[in-house]
Amino acid sequence: MPETYVVAGANLAGGTAAATLRGDGFEGRVVLVGEEPVAPYERPPLSKEFLRGEAPFEKALIRPPDFWDANQIECRFGSRVARIDVGSRQAILDDGEAIRYDKVLVATGLRNRTLGVPGAHLGGVHTLRTVADAEAIRAHAAGATRAVVVGMGFIGAEVAASLRLCGLEVVAVEPLPAPCYRALGPQIGAVVAAIHADHGVKMHLGESVDAFEGGDRVERVVTGSGMRIDCDVVVVGVGASPVTDLLEDEGVHLENGIVVDEHCRTNIDGVYAAGDVANHLHPLVGHHIRVEHWQNAMKQGAAAAKAMLGSTEPYDEVHWFWSDQYDANIQSAGHVSDWANPVIRGDLESRSFVAFYLRDGWIEGAVALNRGRDLRRCIALMKSKAVVDPAKLADPDTDVRSALATV
Amino acid sequence: MGEPVILCPADAVPDQQMKAFPVGSDQIAVARVDGELYAFDDTCTHAACSLADGELEGATVICPCHMGQFDLKTGEVLDGPPPDPISVYPVQETDGKLTVELD
Ligand SMILES: Cc1cc2nc3c(=O)[nH]c(=O)nc-3n(C[C@H](O)[C@H](O)[C@H](O)COP(=O)(O)OP(=O)(O)OC[C@H]3O[C@@H](n4cnc5c(N)ncnc54)[C@H](O)[C@@H]3O)c2cc1C
Ligand code: FES
Repeated sequence: MPETYVVAGANLAGGTAAATLRGDGFEGRVVLVGEEPVAPYERPPLSKEFLRGEAPFEKALIRPPDFWDANQIECRFGSRVARIDVGSRQAILDDGEAIRYDKVLVATGLRNRTLGVPGAHLGGVHTLRTVADAEAIRAHAAGATRAVVVGMGFIGAEVAASLRLCGLEVVAVEPLPAPCYRALGPQIGAVVAAIHADHGVKMHLGESVDAFEGGDRVERVVTGSGMRIDCDVVVVGVGASPVTDLLEDEGVHLENGIVVDEHCRTNIDGVYAAGDVANHLHPLVGHHIRVEHWQNAMKQGAAAAKAMLGSTEPYDEVHWFWSDQYDANIQSAGHVSDWANPVIRGDLESRSFVAFYLRDGWIEGAVALNRGRDLRRCIALMKSKAVVDPAKLADPDTDVRSALATV
Repeated sequence: MGEPVILCPADAVPDQQMKAFPVGSDQIAVARVDGELYAFDDTCTHAACSLADGELEGATVICPCHMGQFDLKTGEVLDGPPPDPISVYPVQETDGKLTVELD
């Protein structure tokens, strides 16, 4: 009997994993089950060029449309795995169909959080995760002139930028002291705030939302301090939670997502997880970590597939992500545990810089604005945990790769 | 048959470096890696960033914006978000100049 590998969740991590199983020569049955009615696609354009109507959806597909059939990957798009029965090794779909598996990869990603305030379900109040969400925002924004963005994490900040570029007035409400504060820290967060201010976004920091008001459609946002902001459309970006319901009560260790080891294995034999949903024991970081980034979803999806095929390589990529807002390209690599005292190459005002965050002399994390080459160059230093010379790192005329401390 | 276009003096592209040149409405980049020359479309197929602003790792160019990677020998995508390959062109050093043959 050939083996059956089921992949639950058919987007970047799941799709890449299914493709990798075939690419690496797996000859058994591969079943890729995804709740969205479309083939795996890239989410980054949803807050950027797709939202602005500059790029068609087809450009976002992770593989050409005929790839899945051509590789004999059985696709169940528009189908949800209701439950994984780890005892009998079956994936039970919404419609009751049970697929017996030898191994299963769970790559179910995230579900957006919503605000539990009055009016949160009014028409015109959106969140953004799927292409359907992006289409709905686009449709509402087309006839609108005033938008409110609630939450200026990456998705909120990118949506604010895109809506500005489409000519809408944008007011942003963010409870933290700066946009992208958790991911970029206070200093770079302030730079991002300045970029949005330059582009005419009116930002209320340290402000929360108490209610949305309107008839059928939202007309107003009421904030914690009592401001009333008139608007035609609202996008809420207040974070997302890992989708783990299909594994509830199955004995799989669930904590901040699905807990996996260096090889993307859960505590239950034959059950793996990857991507945004996986809380992974990262050898470089030294503890479990769950990230919500494109690169991790793709590489970890591939690594999980290889582990299912018996590879003993741990997954130890340096985490990395980007965000594009207007013409600002922000990239970040590694993991910052302390935002104090970065070493800056370039300068914050000129908006071309890298901030390096050191720990015990090595580069633990870095954030770059419009400086991708330098960021790329420091990744090998992060991976080797080499002790660096801060003066060389800060000197734009010294190649980042040669910023090692001399002993 | 390709149409030869003179891009620049040969010393404009030192070893282990790359540079982009406007040719008509396009940008063509030239890289020199361990003495070998490579010419290719400078515009990344993902979000149109200039590849010459990125990084060279051997005969691989890495886009500065989202780390898309292209093989300079074939134009093929090796890693990252780019959906399509880039075009690569024959390039020669003659009479102290770099000449590229576009399609
Ligand atoms: C708007 C937006 C913009 C982004 N921009 C960037 C960016 O610029 N840079 C960056 O680094 N990252 C970005 N990201 C993050 C990146 O897209 C994610 O990290 C990546 O998509 C995660 O992939 P995944 O496969 O793990 O999860 P997802 O992409 O969330 O896919 C999970 C899939 O599983 C399906 N699913 C869930 N439950 C079930 C079930 N029970 N049965 C079957 N299917 C199920 C879901 O419907 C979904 O299709 C962005 C994300 C969003 C939403
Ligand atoms: S523009 Fe080159 S990888 Fe995105």
